[in-house]
Amino acid sequence: MKPSTQRIDEATGRYLPIIYPEELPHWEGLRARRLVLQRCNACHGTWFPIGPTCPHCMSPEFAWAQMSGRGVIHNYVVYHKAWTPWLEKRVPYAVIQVELDEGPRLTTNLLDCPVGEVGIGLRVVAAYEDITDEITLLQFKPDIEASGKRHV
Amino acid sequence: MHETGVRRGTRGGAQLTEVARAFRDKTAVAGVGMKLGKFPGQTALSLAIDAFKLALDDSGLKREDVDGLIVLSFGSDYDRLLEALGLNVRYAHQGWSHGRFISPTVQFAAMAVAMGMAKAVAIVNGKRGKAFGQAGDTEMWRQGLGPHGESPAYGALRPAFGAAISAQRYFHLYGGSNDDLAPICVAFRKHARLNPDAVRRDPMTLEDYRRSPWIVEPLRLLDCCQINDGGSCIIVTSAERARDCRKPPVYISGMQGVHAGPQYHNLALPGLGVAQQKVYKYKPTPEDLYSYRMAGITQQDVDALITYDAFSPLVLFALERFGFCGPGEAREFVRNGRIELDGELPINTSGGLLSEGHLSGWNLLIEAARQARGECGARQVKDARIVQYACFLGESLIFRGDR
Repeated sequence: MKPSTQRIDEATGRYLPIIYPEELPHWEGLRARRLVLQRCNACHGTWFPIGPTCPHCMSPEFAWAQMSGRGVIHNYVVYHKAWTPWLEKRVPYAVIQVELDEGPRLTTNLLDCPVGEVGIGLRVVAAYEDITDEITLLQFKPDIEASGKRHV
Repeated sequence: MHETGVRRGTRGGAQLTEVARAFRDKTAVAGVGMKLGKFPGQTALSLAIDAFKLALDDSGLKREDVDGLIVLSFGSDYDRLLEALGLNVRYAHQGWSHGRFISPTVQFAAMAVAMGMAKAVAIVNGKRGKAFGQAGDTEMWRQGLGPHGESPAYGALRPAFGAAISAQRYFHLYGGSNDDLAPICVAFRKHARLNPDAVRRDPMTLEDYRRSPWIVEPLRLLDCCQINDGGSCIIVTSAERARDCRKPPVYISGMQGVHAGPQYHNLALPGLGVAQQKVYKYKPTPEDLYSYRMAGITQQDVDALITYDAFSPLVLFALERFGFCGPGEAREFVRNGRIELDGELPINTSGGLLSEGHLSGWNLLIEAARQARGECGARQVKDARIVQYACFLGESLIFRGDR
């Protein structure tokens, strides 16, 4: 896997994630269907977005660690306006912020769920969407095994 | 363990320094100029120059009286502007055009004047909404670097994302819905209808608001400002010199900077739980309200509030950020005409970004100065003397009119 600064997939018109060199273990993890984030060797905290030092204790010593991939919808919005031709075929679509059981929150979409059923507190589990031959995007889908616990 | 801490009282609070005490009312806005609308035949540079000339004329100062210049990134660079104006200065600075940096820019200018580094600083801004080659043109597409949490690969585009996701959490924590934003949009439109410079002047009722299409739910089209062209200039000089200028001085009484960090995710109030923010009911601490202490006033003394309203929820956040009401109470606060011209706390008397237009907020600061001078005509707040520009991220400028 290599870093990528390609903004748009010319074939589909879809916007691509920029892949920074320091994020490669994360993207390689997604390719292998695993959610991998940094964990601090000093305070054992995890964090997102990916960065060169622990934002909890500033230690530069960390390891890439596999997350449970489980979490809860902490926040969401629904796009009705499409700002690109690729998105025109997808509106209305939800953008969610998932709070992982490990703590960090990530911004993604929700697969396999009608927009009307998206809500704060819904338990979700990581899903993996291959969007090019090289890039797999982290997504989430409803966690059908989870019980509905109230979330603040 | 692993909490990105919210600092509370760990830095010795906010003691007013001797210099700050001496600084109060020692600098002033002496001239303002603005062009707002659509100017397809002009460049950002020529709009900036037009605004500079208007502000010079407003102040009665001559070009040679200006020995400081600050520009922001959307238009031409500072050296090109000075070249075009044929002006040499001894204090030049260039910053970033985002709305949250406009009141800090006025603060830099006031501090430069107070320190004797310049006698009069002109802050000049020119912007063409869709021009090619401006630094801001690609900004909404930045991933991981942008200010509003944009994630293009997920279709999370445009600043509306940051505002919508913050509003959603606000309603989740405190109750309410999009409908609570309607009184803000309607009030500002009423104000704009009294402002000949406003871009949006057609009438708006609560029903019009509710019929407005969703853009990024929970925000409707009418919750979002439009982008337009324009130029602005604000001239800051010493209080003494301002008293000799053409218009009454607008003293800079108090100020405080942008509060920033993981707990201040952009377009959110602290505590909402947007991105990595903690979830709690935010109440300002004395440290969060430094500018009142500097100006020697409280919220009760503010005759009009001007706030950055690129999106309507930001008005709710500003009210709670500065303690005009308690956590979750802003929804109630904005109802029943309280924020309209004859209300208890008039807000965005020109119509704000939502209805007057978008000059990265410079038009808001110019309105604040004009209200403090008492020259706003049909939309003048009666006897307005203290006008505060204060925004959800904590930046504040307190103007005091000389009357």
